[in-house]
Amino acid sequence: MAEEKKLTEQESLQLITEMIHKVKSSFHESGTSAILWGSIIGFCGLFSFLQFQFQFSTGWFDVWLLTFIAILPQIIISIRETRQKRILTYEETAMNAIWLVFGISIFALTFYNNAVPKITESFYAKEGIELLQKNIATGEITTFHPFVLSISSVYLILYAVPTLATGLARKFKPMTFGGIICYLFFIISCFTTYKYDMLLHSLAGIFCWLIPGLILRRNYLKGNACVNV
Amino acid sequence: MFKELDPILHSQLRLAVMSLLIGVKEAEFTFIREKTNSTAGNLSVQIQKLKDVGYVDVTKQFKDNYPLTTCKITKKGINAFEDYVKALQQYLQVKK
Repeated sequence: MAEEKKLTEQESLQLITEMIHKVKSSFHESGTSAILWGSIIGFCGLFSFLQFQFQFSTGWFDVWLLTFIAILPQIIISIRETRQKRILTYEETAMNAIWLVFGISIFALTFYNNAVPKITESFYAKEGIELLQKNIATGEITTFHPFVLSISSVYLILYAVPTLATGLARKFKPMTFGGIICYLFFIISCFTTYKYDMLLHSLAGIFCWLIPGLILRRNYLKGNACVNV
Repeated sequence: MFKELDPILHSQLRLAVMSLLIGVKEAEFTFIREKTNSTAGNLSVQIQKLKDVGYVDVTKQFKDNYPLTTCKITKKGINAFEDYVKALQQYLQVKK
């Protein structure tokens, strides 16, 4: 490109358009993170469903602990992709912030789900109150341990938020569809038992992240990816 | 009355650099060189000119033991670019 070539107004406008287009076409997303989390959530949800369906136990090991283990490869993927990137867009910065906040919120909700029932019970105990439940068939009265009602539905809403936001912002239809279907799963989960909620979680992982991730991956390998999620 | 086109921006390579940087938060020097099809020496000179007038910020650091230069457009640069595009639109409307 010539150093000091004077341009006509038309050429200037053409150059600006060309450069903006070049930047846009430089966005490449491998889809690795989406595939990772889609697979993990899909597997954990399906495994939990099968556990309830066929009544088998894995002892102390809760399959959802795999989500904590998956943080390690995610960190490695993030570091590697950051090193490879030669540009950083405002949009990408905003999306990264959304997904970071999503990750924090998921773990905050997990903490809430595990801590609040026990804390509530201890508060009652300090006041000398014990919650009881009565079996209306047998008349048996036992201690009632508080729990958060249909917590898995809340997780589904949380899955939908960053997914739909990303899909709409990037104009990436598979993720927009994933986000919308996740809200649909949330409504369904309000009427289903925990066992089927787990199946919905599995499907949410597949529709929100695994399928969009595989599409991104295919585009990335073809070398014509035009979205960055 | 037409606004005069900013002479700093009204040059092919500098305008190309600014047009690239307007859409990103920051970009590596090698990326800009590749997209503008320019030589490293020529691009360095033009980026320095943009830096001198405060349109871009240049950061030099090391990545994996290799020097890494990143450029980002400044607030002043964004305003100048927007003014340039407005002026350009004025010229083009009259020529229609």
